[in-house]
Amino acid sequence: MRTIAYGLRAAAALALGLAFLLPIYIAFVTSIDRPQDVFVYPPHLVPDWNFSVWVQTWQGNTWMFAILNTVVIALTTIAIALATTVLCAYALVYIPFRGRAAVWTALLAVLMIPEQALLIPNFVTMAKLHLVDTRIAQILPYGASVFGVFLLRQHLLTLPREYHDAAKIDGCGHLAFLWRIVLPLSRPVLFTIALYIFIGCWNSLIWPLMVTSSPRVQPIEVLLSTFLTQDSSNWQGLSAAAMFATLPMIALFILFRRPILRGLSKSSGING
Amino acid sequence: MSVIDAFVRSPAQTAAPSPGPSRLREGIWAACFLAPTFAFLVAFVYAPALLAFALAFFNFHPGGTASYAGLSNFHAALSDPLFWRSMANTGLYALMMVPSTLVLSVALAALLHANRRLFRFAQSLVVLPYITPAVGTAIGWLWMYNPNFGILNALLRDVGLRPIGWLNSPEWAMPSVVLYSLWHGIGFDVLILLSAMSQIPEGVLESARVDGAGPWTRLFRITLPLISPTLFFIAVMTTIGSLQAFAQVYALSLSGGGPENATLTALLYIYQQAFTNGQFSYAAAMAAMLVICIFAVTALTRWIGHRFTFYQ
Repeated sequence: MRTIAYGLRAAAALALGLAFLLPIYIAFVTSIDRPQDVFVYPPHLVPDWNFSVWVQTWQGNTWMFAILNTVVIALTTIAIALATTVLCAYALVYIPFRGRAAVWTALLAVLMIPEQALLIPNFVTMAKLHLVDTRIAQILPYGASVFGVFLLRQHLLTLPREYHDAAKIDGCGHLAFLWRIVLPLSRPVLFTIALYIFIGCWNSLIWPLMVTSSPRVQPIEVLLSTFLTQDSSNWQGLSAAAMFATLPMIALFILFRRPILRGLSKSSGING
Repeated sequence: MSVIDAFVRSPAQTAAPSPGPSRLREGIWAACFLAPTFAFLVAFVYAPALLAFALAFFNFHPGGTASYAGLSNFHAALSDPLFWRSMANTGLYALMMVPSTLVLSVALAALLHANRRLFRFAQSLVVLPYITPAVGTAIGWLWMYNPNFGILNALLRDVGLRPIGWLNSPEWAMPSVVLYSLWHGIGFDVLILLSAMSQIPEGVLESARVDGAGPWTRLFRITLPLISPTLFFIAVMTTIGSLQAFAQVYALSLSGGGPENATLTALLYIYQQAFTNGQFSYAAAMAAMLVICIFAVTALTRWIGHRFTFYQ
């Protein structure tokens, strides 16, 4: 009786998981079907493995540029945000100073301000700085990661306090302690934060959509949305393009499932 | 202490007291370490948040000049039927999203809660959409929603129901967006529920079992009360996220908010006014009102939540 119930539950869980994969799988099948199998009823669920639409779509637009832009933007954002995050979280945990509560409140306040309210003024700022339609404009607003500070601070609080006391007695200053002890012990968390920022950059839409206008600097989601709004009946091409945007994230998920899930379950879902 | 704890209750500070001569030096170190983060936050969060409100009170002219507009932008928004429509659509979206997210995420978490390989695999598949790009995955959904060739209408026909217009019909368009959003976002909620469930001490559930409590009783009498802070967090986050809905409607309605403005959310309308029509001040006034609504609804949700949340 117990095993039958377990078997049913396992089957339901598996079916549920596969159902969540279905929308991506359907786009995948559509993108590699022969044209005559696309508009059929009932829908085609076994692919023809015909990659000609992929080649055609890839050559028809600047996907390579868009992917390179996205990666450059993401990696630069990661470098800047990790640097600011490490310093900020270190100060919150290891440097006693007055006003720590105020700093904490100011950081929490960032989570309460909807990002969308900031879009128009940030656009005005970028226009004033002559940075509209550049990659820099897509990086600067994410130079500080409050999510990263929270995650790293939480991790640092679990490290034994004695490390810091011992380092202090040995005359080790903040920079040396940060560089020699804290950073090596925080590598997994920093990696999780970096993954997060990467995923956030890859998926970001509204800000790049507003602040850029030329494919030269646009990331992949924006190029994809342009393609979608201009050519919305080209189902095979769209599905292939959707795969260009989605498959790298799926690959990332397969490679780094553990750190991604660990970060997610600790986060509050704040991107960037 | 997790971010969730920080969100639902004020955190106790872990500051070490620091009397003595080194105090000033430590203060300088702290300032230097905090400066980079706060430089970015001031430039791109705090100052723009204030500027966002200021913008709404001025009109900008092509020559680069600005004139004080008083409340005229707010008046214009309040007498704009499309603004009201977009706010109503946003409210409707949130009203559909919040309860269905809560019920579904609990149901899925209860089903998937097991530390076995197969269950961990299923958990991963449920979470996967959350990290995929909205436009990229919306394309697959547009195809599934296609009234003539989509798999959803094929399923409806197979079970003998009448096919639906999905995104093409004004009455089904918003529920279709909700269905997509649930698929895309619920993995995150399921994951934090699973992590909250795994922190419930085994003994509590075991002794309930010994006392004769069935699985439903254990779920409703023990598990749910113990994870109520997480449920509350999900409710608040889903509310805030729903009021800010943009990418999903932008992609699924091909940036138009149609059919017949049925999926025109507040943020999509603000985006259109600002970047299609160049009405920055008007958009800023509407954004200010949306933010006030978000704060009000969040405060209300928190107030309700605190009365129904059980803390250990």
